[in-house]
Amino acid sequence: MTDEKPDVARWVDEGARMIGLTIAPEYRARVIQNVERSLVIAQPLLAIELDDELTPGPVFRP
Amino acid sequence: MTDPLSKEATAGEIARSVAAGKVKSLAVVEATLKRIEAAEPAVNAFTDIVPDRARRRATDLDAGKHRGPLAGVPFAVKNLFDIDGLPTRAGSRINVDGPKAGRDGALIRKLEAAGAILVGGLNMGEYAYDFTGENAHYGPSRNPHDTTRMTGGSSGGSGAAVASGEVPLSLGSDTNGSIRVPSSLCGLFGLKPTYGRLSRAGSFPFVDALDHLGPIARSPEDLALAFDAMQGADPDDPVCTHMPPDPTLPHLGEGLGDLRIAIAGDYFTRGGEPEAFAAVATVAKALDATREVVLPQAAVARAAAYVITAIEGAGLHLPRLRARPQDFDPDTRERFMAGALLPGSWYVKAQRFRRQFRANVLRLFDEVDVILAPATPCFAPRLGQTMMKIGGVELAVRANLGVFTQPISFIGLPVVVAPLQRAGSMPIGVQIIARPYNEKAALRVAAFLEKQGVASARPA
Repeated sequence: MTDEKPDVARWVDEGARMIGLTIAPEYRARVIQNVERSLVIAQPLLAIELDDELTPGPVFRP
Repeated sequence: MTDPLSKEATAGEIARSVAAGKVKSLAVVEATLKRIEAAEPAVNAFTDIVPDRARRRATDLDAGKHRGPLAGVPFAVKNLFDIDGLPTRAGSRINVDGPKAGRDGALIRKLEAAGAILVGGLNMGEYAYDFTGENAHYGPSRNPHDTTRMTGGSSGGSGAAVASGEVPLSLGSDTNGSIRVPSSLCGLFGLKPTYGRLSRAGSFPFVDALDHLGPIARSPEDLALAFDAMQGADPDDPVCTHMPPDPTLPHLGEGLGDLRIAIAGDYFTRGGEPEAFAAVATVAKALDATREVVLPQAAVARAAAYVITAIEGAGLHLPRLRARPQDFDPDTRERFMAGALLPGSWYVKAQRFRRQFRANVLRLFDEVDVILAPATPCFAPRLGQTMMKIGGVELAVRANLGVFTQPISFIGLPVVVAPLQRAGSMPIGVQIIARPYNEKAALRVAAFLEKQGVASARPA
């Protein structure tokens, strides 16, 4: 993940700006760390392929 | 017969004593309030106590105004449940500035309709984004078996209040393991019912797609008593099932019968300390279970549950993250902020995978009725501990206490945690997992284990 760190920092800075979330300097390092951790934990999901026919199970009932 | 005024008394024992006229509800409430006062400095389970309300309710019960299977049973709820007249903290400081609840949450109303008596609101990890039971605003809930250790979370107070003997019954919520982790670490029986089985109306949400509510107690009978009283459709929770209530208590003593019991293999045999797997082996031996089944892609299920949690939770709290970031618990703030920045495509993929995982796991239930798995990867960590060594690998405590619970709640399966106690050691639990809406199978197995003396929960 070390190689991606600069990208994650940019992702955090620009993403936060895009959604209007001000991240104070004292929080920034931990937000970056948590996005990096999320990348690691999400990896098994991101690594698989799903059939196009597979749709989410609906809950909403009109 | 256990003294109904003692901390050892279970909900069932108290209700039977009250019904038989052997003890007054008011005496039970007074004894409970005294125990809470004595235990709180050590365990910090409660954030709100409602003594006047509890006494009024007990007096009404003693006057014959209410009856029910839980008559006179004191209980407390994780403070994300609405309690009439109090702010719904959900473990936060921010919510205290919000409006006070104008009505009790649905499950409180159902338990009180069955005769139970609410005595207060319980400490929890902020906004339920927690596996530790720690909280920067209200202090950590402390494990009654060793107050230097975590209760587990996020229903930490719900674990501490029952394990300390303050109350025989509590309610918690479980999105990724928040009933099952404290049940394991505090040595208690806990029930995370099927997703949608119990109404969540009048509780502060975390992740709608994964949120469940359920009871924690010191006996399977108490879980069944509470669960049966809380079942039923509720139009105020769109996820709540329209299936008719299916009472579990009458089936509790049926023993194992022809239940087919298997052990979860693969993913559930790695990533834990020896005590987690030894507990499963002990339970499997007592149940004569030798068959192993594999929940395919459990690691992907855990990843998907994590992604849904991070993104939905952050989406819910984004307005507060913008307006009052300084008022969040530092241990949740940056995790919520990070979740707000994760791609929507991850969320959609996680939801799509959820359907695939559900189909694959439901196929297993054609051949087995109950699956055993560890509840937590280890005994309760020490308070303040941020990293732990699991199988020789250094891992974050917060992200990893729920590795064995997350894949199961991801598809909403009902689970009972059965606790194992050993002299000189901390307790640890085992997950008893059943097919959707078959809570009674998991409760039957837990009752069998209790009867055999394999699983037990005593106040510390």
